Amino acid sequence: MPVFANYHCKTTIDCQQGAVRAVRYNVDGSYCMSCGSDKKIKLWNPATGLLLKTYGGHADEVTDVAGSCDSSYIVSSSLDKSIIYWDVSTGTPVRRLRSHAGGVRCVCFNEDSSITISGGRDNAVMCWDIRTRRLDPVQVMKDARDCITTVLTNENKIYAASLDGCIRHYDIRVGEMTCDKIGEPVTYLAKTQDEQCLVAGCQDSVVRLIDCETGGLLSEYKGHRADDYHIECGILANDAHIVAGSSAGDAYIWDLLEGKVLQRIRISDNGGVVHSLATHPRRSEELLFARRRDMYVFTTDLQIEEEQL
Amino acid sequence: MDDEESLHRFGTPLPPLEKDVVPAKKPLAIEDQIVKDENGKRRFHGAFTGGFSAGFWNTVGSLEGWTPQTFKSSRAEKATPRAQQRPEDFMDKEDLGEFGIAPQGIRTREEFAKESEEEQRTGQRKRKLMQPEQVGPIPGVPVLEHLLRPVRDKVAVRILKSMGWKPGQGVGPRQTRKEKRLASARNKREQYLLDHYGAEGLPSLDQLQNAAVEEGNDDDDDEDDEEITFAPNDYEPIFYTPKENRFGMSYSGLSRDPILSKSSSSHPAAPMQHINLFGQLETQPKQKQLSIRGQAFGVGAFEEEDDDIYARDDLTRYDFSLADKKPKQKKIQHVQQRHVIDGFSEDKSEAALHKPYAIDLPRDFKPRNWLQRRSRFEPMDSERTKKLEARNEYKKTGLGRHDLNPDQRAQLLGEQKSQKEEQQQQPQPPSRNPFKDRGKLLELINAKSEGFTKGGLITEEELPKAETAATAMAKQVKESNATIQEKAVLKTKDLASATPSGGFKPFLADEAKQERYDKFLDAQLKTDAEITEFLANMQPVTLSLWDREMEKKEFIQAAKIYRPLNGLMYDRFVSEATVQAEQAKEQQKPPEERKVVMERTKTMWKPASLLCKRYNIAEPFGGSMLEPPKELKGKPKISIFDYLETSINSKADFQTPTIRPKHMEKPKPAVASSFALAPLAPPAAVAPEPEKEKPAQRKEEEPIVKASFVPRTPLEHAVDESREKPISEKKDLFRSIFEDSDDEEKVAVPPPQIATLSTPQEKLAAINEALGLPSTSAASAATLNVLRNNSPPRGIFAALFKPIEEAAAPAKFAPIEGNKLKIAYKSREERLRNDKELAMAQVPAEDIYGPKLPGKGPPPRTQETDHAEVDLEAKLQHLWQKHAPKKRSADKWVEKKTLSSDDSDSDSSSDTSSSCSASSPRKAKRSRVSKSKKSSHRSSSSKKSKKSKQKSKKKSKKSSDRSKPKAKKKKSKH
Repeated sequence: MPVFANYHCKTTIDCQQGAVRAVRYNVDGSYCMSCGSDKKIKLWNPATGLLLKTYGGHADEVTDVAGSCDSSYIVSSSLDKSIIYWDVSTGTPVRRLRSHAGGVRCVCFNEDSSITISGGRDNAVMCWDIRTRRLDPVQVMKDARDCITTVLTNENKIYAASLDGCIRHYDIRVGEMTCDKIGEPVTYLAKTQDEQCLVAGCQDSVVRLIDCETGGLLSEYKGHRADDYHIECGILANDAHIVAGSSAGDAYIWDLLEGKVLQRIRISDNGGVVHSLATHPRRSEELLFARRRDMYVFTTDLQIEEEQL
Repeated sequence: MDDEESLHRFGTPLPPLEKDVVPAKKPLAIEDQIVKDENGKRRFHGAFTGGFSAGFWNTVGSLEGWTPQTFKSSRAEKATPRAQQRPEDFMDKEDLGEFGIAPQGIRTREEFAKESEEEQRTGQRKRKLMQPEQVGPIPGVPVLEHLLRPVRDKVAVRILKSMGWKPGQGVGPRQTRKEKRLASARNKREQYLLDHYGAEGLPSLDQLQNAAVEEGNDDDDDEDDEEITFAPNDYEPIFYTPKENRFGMSYSGLSRDPILSKSSSSHPAAPMQHINLFGQLETQPKQKQLSIRGQAFGVGAFEEEDDDIYARDDLTRYDFSLADKKPKQKKIQHVQQRHVIDGFSEDKSEAALHKPYAIDLPRDFKPRNWLQRRSRFEPMDSERTKKLEARNEYKKTGLGRHDLNPDQRAQLLGEQKSQKEEQQQQPQPPSRNPFKDRGKLLELINAKSEGFTKGGLITEEELPKAETAATAMAKQVKESNATIQEKAVLKTKDLASATPSGGFKPFLADEAKQERYDKFLDAQLKTDAEITEFLANMQPVTLSLWDREMEKKEFIQAAKIYRPLNGLMYDRFVSEATVQAEQAKEQQKPPEERKVVMERTKTMWKPASLLCKRYNIAEPFGGSMLEPPKELKGKPKISIFDYLETSINSKADFQTPTIRPKHMEKPKPAVASSFALAPLAPPAAVAPEPEKEKPAQRKEEEPIVKASFVPRTPLEHAVDESREKPISEKKDLFRSIFEDSDDEEKVAVPPPQIATLSTPQEKLAAINEALGLPSTSAASAATLNVLRNNSPPRGIFAALFKPIEEAAAPAKFAPIEGNKLKIAYKSREERLRNDKELAMAQVPAEDIYGPKLPGKGPPPRTQETDHAEVDLEAKLQHLWQKHAPKKRSADKWVEKKTLSSDDSDSDSSSDTSSSCSASSPRKAKRSRVSKSKKSSHRSSSSKKSKKSKQKSKKKSKKSSDRSKPKAKKKKSKH
């Protein structure tokens, strides 16, 4: 059982791109990306807060971004109904994929970054083959009854969380779609490292831990306030702590097993919704939060703080 | 040279040309004199070529003329936000020159000049040192700024200066001290007027004079000093604009100028409106200073300006009268004539001497300076307060609505006070208290608030005074309230007296009834039985039972409607406190812990093969999963027809029973029964799934129609047999088909033995039921063939179904057995008719390709068939038991006949829908009719039919020729 150490703010980055819609780590957590309401994506070095690149080309707010496994491409979704596949180094869009009938909410790469999966407000999950120049989706899943909020994938499954209160698992190997109905709109979905469980942030201010195998509800984490926001949640890399944002300018970290609040991270005293967060893919000591126009890097490392002092 | 002498000479001869002298250069003609600019471009053209040159050789911009601007921006090269286009971009070089419309040279900046101007005017320098110091190495005022001072006086100022004027002085002749004093007084007055312009009432002259006197007193002693003159005081003269029209104050009529021309508004009197192309440039004083002015195409200083060719004509320019209408010039006495400066002449125009119009002011007009802000705490005019009071009077009286306190209202409404309230009221002491008491103040406030009198603070000190005024007001209000209340009471008294029990009297007309009603109300009965009993005791004996019942109902209804008022009100209103309490309670309640129940559902989902490939996973089930039904791309998801009445759309409501092969089992037993009650195929051996059946049925049918076919089963025998039937027998069959559809009455012939008739039908139904078939009772609408032609028979059909005497005729030849020749002796018409009949009748059902059309439910029972059916029924059951396991279905696919190569019997000539639809019942009838005949009859009839078939062959051959290839094709498929 890992010992919990409190997180504290290491860096605050003013992204200068309007409201930050999402913050994401790249595949190894060495870089992070922020999606702004000014239609741009910015690539940062979270350790130093250095702006590395800005990717502009969307026609509306960028909602989500994901980096490829080799960190040479970025895929981003926007409310302009399109998905853009970016070349990281040149900063130019390689492909612009348009098939969604509504704004695209979420996007992700599969493991070898050959397929991009996106979910949008048109209730559709689309799989895009980005290796080829094909501009229409490989497959469209229109099972959801409401906006898709998150898409995830692993080696053989695609997970899609929707506001209709369902999490759908598309098992490619078995050829089966499993629909886990929670009943509350699911605003965000994260999967544990061992891929045994899903962490679903629900609209009723509860984060739920769901067993992938049986679809059973393992645990509930409460305390934060979701209100009407799409609050994101996450699970730390050690699979022992669960984190979620809140609408009152703070974030909560729970113990996975006991379900009690370990730390209430006060990100800002003057409100602002902590709607987006990202957990470091490798180290459980690092966290990213987005609030209003800023990005916050939180860490448990004391050394850095000492260095700064 | 006598020639020369005889010639007359006119004019002067040219000087003789000298050969040595080179003729002087011819002077350039005027038309050849061309003005060129420094670039060698021609500046002026003839009128037809535009008059002037512009741009590049009368083009714009360049040799190519006007080149459109391009905008290029790429991801790599972003377009820099270009500087806004300036007017200068569109100008020629000349325009920017010294004499152009936008001269560009070094000039002083406006502020720079202004400052010095100001200084010169006021005669005093601003204290520069006090201003924040400029950042520079040397502290203090920059030396250069002092040295380099631009001289930029206006011409007028320069003239004035030359006349001895100094900055700070006033303009005008020098004045003596007295004059100056008077002038200053006048100036002051004017200044005062300016300040209070529009204020109520002009200040009395006395005030002003007093002020003047006061000032004058100071230097009384020097009054007589006439020699010493002073420069007049500088003051800002007030310029009044004379009113030249009779419009209302400060009203200016709509301008006749075009809206867009801004310049015209500045020159309202111009008779011709020039469309000023550059007007927009001139009139943007606030945005950006543009130094472009004047006409683009200048006229020299010594040239007269051309007529404005771009002017708009105006009727005022034209003279419409012969008489000289110019008013005579009046001699005007100019006061300051002598002070005209050399080189200037006096303005003779009479613009300033317009006759002022008198304005009719409203009688109670009070001028007020609306620009002056007035605090709302200032005391109001007495008149205005009066007016306001008068206007708000109704609020005070309030139509008597607000005069009543809640208690009084409650009394009026007949509400009952709650006990709590009463308890609260009791301990309160009567409000009559000694003076200076705390309660007094309360009462005062009460009194004040009751009457809604005008506001004001009630303080302890003011009490006595305020009390008198306020109580007086309160009294007055109370009095008025009392009268209103009385009125209200009077009005409602009638109502109240009419309802001693507090309710309405719905049955006032009938006193006894009303009495009963009252008692009924008092009793407050609940159950129906109680009420009836209660009323029965009261109701007079004369009332009938029905009346009693009615009365009871009335009473109950009335009691419901005319409930006591207080109860009604009580239902409708809830006190705010309770509402709030409820809300608070709701809020306090924690949000209900929704138990989340996880549901898991699993469905098949086929991943795309490419997806599998990319995921490096083998396709599930080897990619043999069922593809989900593809959605049509263009198909809208929501159709307006979805919202239409569903009853029409639902399949179940669609009652046309037409092409349901399930109903087809009927003909089969009939066919079979025709075979002299031989063992038959099951009547309703229909497998539940018609689709599966069809091919099977086809297979079954094939052997029947094959040429080499030897009938094996009794059914096959029957079919074979029926084909050989004579036409006369078939006629009956036709009749039965068509007649029973024409009118149901004939069908419903009263059966002689109800019991015997009903049983087979029931049995049939039972069989159908057992087979899972829809019941085929005659009553069911579904079984009625809707598609059948109900119109009376026409053409050949008409001939077939003529009334009895006609029907009797064919009967003559019908019974003739075995004699083929006799038919030949028939009249030609008859023969023809027979042929036609044959053509119709000889179409065996097997010749028609396609699903069998549903027949009319159970075959109509006619008398002659009744007996047969009893027997038949037994047979059917027997057969059913025998054949059911074999899955012989009565539903059949009838195929085009493959027996004979020439297909002669195919009824291509009569392939109308009516014949098609009728085919199957016909078959059924035929068989049934034939069944009633004797079996001995069979051999001859078959021969006959053979012969008639041959006859019809010839006829139909021609017509069927066309359809033959098709038929053959079909045959080959099988």
